[in-house]
Amino acid sequence: MCGCEEPRWGWGHCAPSPMLLLSVLLSAAPFGLLGEETRQVSLEVIPDWLDPPQNLLHVRAVGTNSTLHYVWSSLGPPAVLLVATNTPYSTLSVNWSRLLSPKPDGGLMVLPKDSIQFSSALVFTRLFEFDSTNTSDAAAKPPGKPYPPYSLAKFSWNNISDSLDPATMSATFQGRPIHDPTKAFANGSLSFRVQAFSRSGRPAQPPRLLHTADTCQLEVALVGASPQGNRSLFGLEVATLGQGPDCPSVQEQHSIDDEYTPAVFQLHQLLWGSVPTGFVQWRPVAFSQKQGSRESALPCQASPLYPALAYLLPQSPIVRAFFGSQNNFCAFNLTFGASTGPGYWDQHYLSWSMLLGVGTPPVDALSPLVLGIMAVALGAPGLMLLAGGLFLLLGHKRYSEYQPIN
Amino acid sequence: MEEEEEEARALLAGGPGAPSALPALCDPGRLAHRLLVLLLMCFLGFGSYFCYDNPAALQSQFKRDMQVNTTKFMLLYAWYSWPNVVLCFFGGFLIDRVFGIRWGTIIFSCFVCIGQVVFALGGIFNAFWLMEFGRFVFGIGGESLAVAQNTYAVSWFKGKELNLVFGLQLSMARIGSTVNMNLMGWLYSQVEALLGSAGPTTLGVTLIIGGITCILSLICALALAYLDQRAERILHKEQGKTGEVIKLTDVKDFSLPLWLIFIICVSYYVAVFPFIGLGKVFFIEKFGFSSEAASAINSVVYVISAPMSPVFGLLVDKTGRNIVWVLCAVAATLASHLMLALTLWNPWIAMCLLGISYSLLACALWPMVAFVVPEHQLGTAYGFMQSIQNLGLAIISIIAGMILDTRGYLFLEVFFIACVSLSLLSVVLLYVVNHAQGGNLNYSARQREEIKLSHTE
Repeated sequence: MCGCEEPRWGWGHCAPSPMLLLSVLLSAAPFGLLGEETRQVSLEVIPDWLDPPQNLLHVRAVGTNSTLHYVWSSLGPPAVLLVATNTPYSTLSVNWSRLLSPKPDGGLMVLPKDSIQFSSALVFTRLFEFDSTNTSDAAAKPPGKPYPPYSLAKFSWNNISDSLDPATMSATFQGRPIHDPTKAFANGSLSFRVQAFSRSGRPAQPPRLLHTADTCQLEVALVGASPQGNRSLFGLEVATLGQGPDCPSVQEQHSIDDEYTPAVFQLHQLLWGSVPTGFVQWRPVAFSQKQGSRESALPCQASPLYPALAYLLPQSPIVRAFFGSQNNFCAFNLTFGASTGPGYWDQHYLSWSMLLGVGTPPVDALSPLVLGIMAVALGAPGLMLLAGGLFLLLGHKRYSEYQPIN
Repeated sequence: MEEEEEEARALLAGGPGAPSALPALCDPGRLAHRLLVLLLMCFLGFGSYFCYDNPAALQSQFKRDMQVNTTKFMLLYAWYSWPNVVLCFFGGFLIDRVFGIRWGTIIFSCFVCIGQVVFALGGIFNAFWLMEFGRFVFGIGGESLAVAQNTYAVSWFKGKELNLVFGLQLSMARIGSTVNMNLMGWLYSQVEALLGSAGPTTLGVTLIIGGITCILSLICALALAYLDQRAERILHKEQGKTGEVIKLTDVKDFSLPLWLIFIICVSYYVAVFPFIGLGKVFFIEKFGFSSEAASAINSVVYVISAPMSPVFGLLVDKTGRNIVWVLCAVAATLASHLMLALTLWNPWIAMCLLGISYSLLACALWPMVAFVVPEHQLGTAYGFMQSIQNLGLAIISIIAGMILDTRGYLFLEVFFIACVSLSLLSVVLLYVVNHAQGGNLNYSARQREEIKLSHTE
């Protein structure tokens, strides 16, 4: 049964208390799609018999009584559909000819339709570049003079089948602009590495986000592209579907725990609605070196979500195919780095990671090592004080026995 | 001849009957002149204390401009401590037997100045190893200069306002650290505006400007040497001596309580100084402080300790019961680190508590050594205590940097909590051992008075 998962206890004022979390989990249980400990995960590239092939990656995570579908595609701008169903038997059906037509509505379906508990989508629409030379204020918006943005819909992407790795359950979309007059991407690329998980854990690579079987990780990396200025900052525009008339908001959680991402105490979360629904979670940090050490950490700033008119955004056929044409889009911008400190210019490298999932977002708990040290460090003097107190008490008693002689 | 000596002694003590051929300020026998000397003594240490914490005040600038991680950054503190592991034993010897107090002070001041200049040049030439070397040279001068400063104080104020003078010198040292914490960041931004960009050169120039305080200290050393010699000529006053006799073989006679005091000292200080060295970024990242506010809160320990040290000194003197005071101080420090680690409460609370407990500890812990060591071994015991404190600081600074780079601030705080906890454990053990051995460490002031009387009877 789901919901029986051990309550993770959160620290910090935004994190729910253990009891609250437990009650949330228990109340979430009847919805029947959350908190699976392990899932059977399969990655499938859906073939299309086209040339050049279009990438459509279906990640299916089956639990005892729910299935999560992640559909990643580089048809149009890179995008992902997230669909949660309350049956282990739901399937994805793809109608390629409709999907590739100008009106793709209904080209993608998850069946049976009434099993769908939650669905949403993310579209990565544009890559921004700013000249930060004359901006000293890190929080300035925009963070510098903008260069013309790259539309990710006008990128060409590699064949996803080549990078599919069943062992790590990952695949990488690697792309560069179709028209690249400045040859900026001659030796570079923008890549979206997607990874699914069958159980909870934590990768070795910073920012070491805690993942569960209900989540999927995306790592965006810009490597080797020539910046247009000496001190270029990059940004990413992300669009999503609004639930109702309002846009969801990005929450900033503050915790005391920075053990897995040194000196980063914040956790940003985009929740599509009240718990339990889908979420996007990331640490506000990006890295300018592949090993992701602390000296290469860049701040990552997220703008609030704002309503975006659908015709102003590059259209994603898979989003339209699944959700139809009547949608409210909301968008937000992520900016990586500041005018001072490390930056993309150091090694022409930038990476940023996020988690996408359904249910209650994972909460970091104090590691057993920290708890162990604390227990010993606080327990030992406590015991010693107790023993010392007893010793003194007994000592005094003995002392008082002698006093009558005096 | 005897009369003359008597007169000189009276002069030195500021006796009222002394003939005053010189104006008060220039007469080494007068209080006014001693105050002038006191002012020079205070500024003698100002430069080295100001520059000691330059890295802490400019932590993010150092790491950004020199492109070093925290581990390498903390080496700047470790390199300061390394020479002092050995020099603590020889500082007194060098002053007494080799250089004399005057030349000793001047030489140590020169080391401080040269060290700071080399440190700054390391920035200008963008060579981190040169910076490390500069800190090493700076370290050779820094700690020995403090010994020289104390020797001067004893030589000029013994039997008079000595405790007050020590207190004032300590306060001045803390003021130096505080001014540094709050000034260097601003200075850096001014230099940055002037040079048009941030970088190693900006850092180097900022450090050179900070080095002016060391030049000031050197001038004080020269002035003191002149005045001291003049006082010797006029009053036939002897050149000051530390009187320290270091016999390393004494170590085998050290008692268990003394070793426990050493453990308390090392495990306590390693949880305070490296924390302050790394604190600024902690307050910026965890509590969202601005750079200026982070500097201010990072220096609050020093700010509190400047006025509180004399107060607590008096308190401990009047009440005795040193172990209880040490226990309170260590427990309060533990509470303060726990707050910083596990809560998001306003860190001013924790840092003020840390400042108070730090001042209390210094006043209660260091005099304890005198109770457990015969007087002829006192020099060795204090030398040893400083030496292992420096050793501890050097090692823990490096470890702290490594922990921060790989595991973050929470783990670092937990590590410091473990250190303070070891200190607390030792205090409790010291209490028990002292009680079992019938030691005098925890006597109240009245008990001590009675014992003194019974000894003299």
